[in-house]
Amino acid sequence: MTNLNAIDPAAVAEEARIENDDVVMAKSAIILRRFLRNKTAVAGLVLFLALTVFSFAGGFFSAWDKETIDPFNIGMPPSAEHLLGTSQAGIDLYALTVEGTRISILIGLVVGLVSVLIAAVYGCTMAYFGGKVDKVMLFVLEALIMMPALLVVAVATSGGGDGLRENVPSWLLLIIVLLVFSWMGSARLIRSLAMSLMQRDFVKAARYMGVPARRIVWRHLVPNIGSLLVLDITRGVTGAVLAEVAFSFVGIGIKVPDVSLGVLINQATSQVQTFPWMFWVPLVVMFLLTGSLAMMNDGLRDAFDPGSGSVGRARRKGK
Amino acid sequence: MSGGASNAVLSVRDLNVRFNSEDGVVHAVRGCGFDILPGKTLGIVGESGSGKSVTALAAMGLLPETAEVTGSVRLDGKELLGLSDKAMCRHRGNDIAMVFQDPLSSLTPVYSVGQQIIEALRIHHPGMSKQAMAARAVELLSMVGVPGPRDRLKAFPHEFSGGMRQRVLIAIAMANNPRVLIADEPTTALDVTIQAQVLEVLHTAQDETGAAVVMITHDLGVVAGMADDVVVMYAGKPVETGSAEDIYYNPRMPYTMGLLGAVPRVDVADKASLVPIDGIPPNLVRPPAGCSFAPRCPLAEEACLQGEPELLPVGGPEESGALPGSGAHQAACIRTDAVGPGVDVHELFHAPPVPVSCFDAVPRQERRTVLELRDVRKHFPLTKGSLIKRRIGTVRAVDGLSFDIREGECFSIVGESGCGKTTTLLEIMEFNKDQDGEVAIGGLSNKAASDARTRGAMRRELQMVFQDPTGALDPRFTVFEVLSEPLENAGMAKPAVRKRIMELMELVGLQPDHVNRFPNQFSGGQRQRIGIARALAVNPRLVVLDEPVSALDVSVQAGIINLLDKLRAELGLSYLMVAHDLSVVRHISNRVAVMYAGKIVEIGHVDTVFDHPRHPYTRALLSAIPVPDPRLERTRERIILRGDLPSPLDAPRGCNFATRCPVFAALPAAKQEKCLTAVPPLGPEAGLQAGERAAGPDQQFACFFPDGEIDADMLVFHEASDLPDLRSTTPRTEKMKGTP
Repeated sequence: MTNLNAIDPAAVAEEARIENDDVVMAKSAIILRRFLRNKTAVAGLVLFLALTVFSFAGGFFSAWDKETIDPFNIGMPPSAEHLLGTSQAGIDLYALTVEGTRISILIGLVVGLVSVLIAAVYGCTMAYFGGKVDKVMLFVLEALIMMPALLVVAVATSGGGDGLRENVPSWLLLIIVLLVFSWMGSARLIRSLAMSLMQRDFVKAARYMGVPARRIVWRHLVPNIGSLLVLDITRGVTGAVLAEVAFSFVGIGIKVPDVSLGVLINQATSQVQTFPWMFWVPLVVMFLLTGSLAMMNDGLRDAFDPGSGSVGRARRKGK
Repeated sequence: MSGGASNAVLSVRDLNVRFNSEDGVVHAVRGCGFDILPGKTLGIVGESGSGKSVTALAAMGLLPETAEVTGSVRLDGKELLGLSDKAMCRHRGNDIAMVFQDPLSSLTPVYSVGQQIIEALRIHHPGMSKQAMAARAVELLSMVGVPGPRDRLKAFPHEFSGGMRQRVLIAIAMANNPRVLIADEPTTALDVTIQAQVLEVLHTAQDETGAAVVMITHDLGVVAGMADDVVVMYAGKPVETGSAEDIYYNPRMPYTMGLLGAVPRVDVADKASLVPIDGIPPNLVRPPAGCSFAPRCPLAEEACLQGEPELLPVGGPEESGALPGSGAHQAACIRTDAVGPGVDVHELFHAPPVPVSCFDAVPRQERRTVLELRDVRKHFPLTKGSLIKRRIGTVRAVDGLSFDIREGECFSIVGESGCGKTTTLLEIMEFNKDQDGEVAIGGLSNKAASDARTRGAMRRELQMVFQDPTGALDPRFTVFEVLSEPLENAGMAKPAVRKRIMELMELVGLQPDHVNRFPNQFSGGQRQRIGIARALAVNPRLVVLDEPVSALDVSVQAGIINLLDKLRAELGLSYLMVAHDLSVVRHISNRVAVMYAGKIVEIGHVDTVFDHPRHPYTRALLSAIPVPDPRLERTRERIILRGDLPSPLDAPRGCNFATRCPVFAALPAAKQEKCLTAVPPLGPEAGLQAGERAAGPDQQFACFFPDGEIDADMLVFHEASDLPDLRSTTPRTEKMKGTP
């Protein structure tokens, strides 16, 4: 135990430096640094944040809101009074777009993130425990896949469950229903990936250190399928936005007075010729939204994946 | 020997190979040149990344189109570089053939072995009759020692073991009696006893065909026995060349000296530290300004950084410009005068002093027991059938193992792959009470380990270092996270964790400010240091080492072994090590157990077992290890075991080594009966009295006939095999056509 107990001034100084935290960098700082090296991704993030800010603060820049009808301007193209024009009902399109973007981002983010999270934890747990646990959980998963999602959404948002509908807004209901049916595919994929990770030595090492099972799943398995998760999250967000559009299109998603980009697009499709601005404005916003996520994709993967080329230049290598 | 450019079969001149990579152009081979004479063997030695395999592939024309190859490769005076792929095909497999490293993936699984050998024949001899080709294939298989060659022709690769597949690959390479045979790490993937067999086969094949052999390897022992001339490569350039004797007994380049000093010897008991070479080889994207070895060289001075030194003759007025392979001793070093036989390599490279543990002075019996195994068994059922599983046998992976490890001691288990070493480790690490047999760690028995708390306590006593340093570290964890995991798990507070991690980094010789890096930013040796630091984090008393250095280069390996030695002495650790490299085991261990097919066949103090092995398997194992000493290696007698480990299905009733035992083969039938029917117990010398046993050497073995005479057929003297074997040297075409 010689050099463990030795005390010398250099060691004390070193200790002070360690306490002050200039040596050990937080993992988040490292990830952020790696993310910032990808310019496209940063641009995507900026765009995404701008859209989010727009969806929350945009309402303050206009005198109109999504419910006030302007009887003098019905179905008017963009003008000084109404920046983006008005709908057939005489509602300001700018106000509708702000509101719709917020709901769409909310649905997309919540469904994308939470469903991937559920899938990751569910899939990794199945792989880690194996045996009976795996069998039962796999059965539940298969049963859910068989369920006709469309019908359940239709019932939940329009037909039965009246009491439920009175208490929760339609967007929240849609989120819950989308969540329940969106994670199974990824969970199965993640299960097989995690099973191959289980064979790796570092999982064995953690087990032999006596690390509890849930921590191994959370700290070793989930991050190591991170590249896939990141891709799944952005894909999931896009997918949820599109699903919302699709459900709203067939008339079972978001209900008026709630509004979303999908509802706006749906309302405008029949009159693209006469009221083009009503179709193109929400469509461009949706394109910006999904596009910004796609731009972030690569950067996020690089940031989380140590095997990527994002090591930065001019760093010393070796000893 | 004079410069043999005129009669050389293969002469390589000023070979340069460049690859493009993301970071820029990698200059992988920078001016390599050598000559090789018929019937001679040239060894190319170097660490990974030194350009040895690329040189071979360039000569074979097997590099990808994208690689830029310049210089000249002449086969019998005919230029090979620049030939089209089609033109090259006339030579490949005909005049110049290659044996690859991995026998498991070099054979096509869907064709029988016979078809693959015949394919090699048919391509270059389209006129040959079917019968002649089949006959030649049988002849080839029997030459490389495949038993029952006529039947085995129809067998598929998966029906062969690794060593047998490598023999088949040699047979394919030798099919057309090539002038030059290039063997790229032919035995690296094989066990030592199999390695000895395969090297013998290469010898025979060379003797029978008179081919020149280029032997590429990182193992200095293998080269010592095989090669006439040696080229040492570093950073894509030959840095020293000469006859095997010159290189091994009179190295004149610091790198060669360091490399030789870094290899532990299986035949020497002295406990000097190994020579570590600091640093890592240079990145070949940027060509080094001076000598490529200067940054790691202890003798480097200002002049070394001024231009790269050329290969120049060493000591004596030999004609300059002679080429490697011609026997002239040359070194690319401006300080050859400072290096030589009189220089102590340990001093030169500042090898650390031999660490002394406080336990070394205490007799073994008085030290505390850290780990005890009593009759541990692990049997796997072997089942057949897809719907209803039928039990058709049992694999006795570990069969009744008992041993103990005392404080401050390194105990090693050695044996071929499949003998149950790793299963033993896993059994110890699993530690639960459903196991068959008792495992006691620091007084905690697995039979009593019911609750999580006892098991947690046990985990703090026992930690593990894995074989593959890359796989054992979570690629998404920074070093800090890797090291903090066991500490946080043990409930240590955050500031204390941070302090401990800095201590650990220093302890294993890493820079503390590297804690923010990811494992893939470290070299292999550094990664293994991180693995060791993680194992030491919770201050365990016993560390389990699973092949800790087998994935590392020689010079790096030396550093890790020294580190393990130092830690054992300083921290009073005990090690349980599993290794197949007996030289490493001899260097680091105090006691050793030799395992064969799930059982310990010999156990005892390392010097006793290695110097006076009693069990025939131990004797064979030890004789199979190549020693980096050409003179010794060429005259040493070797026991070449026949065949592979027995299949677990037809495990013999008596001694399980009887099927391959050289002593058994020499015994009269009456005595053989005993080996076949009774299982020899593990114990000390049978004739000793009780009192003598305690005082006698620390050695036990499981054999009825220790020191028995060894069957002459299994003994190989190198000199004998160097003589041309006249039985089957017949001119090739006539012979092939003549055989029915």
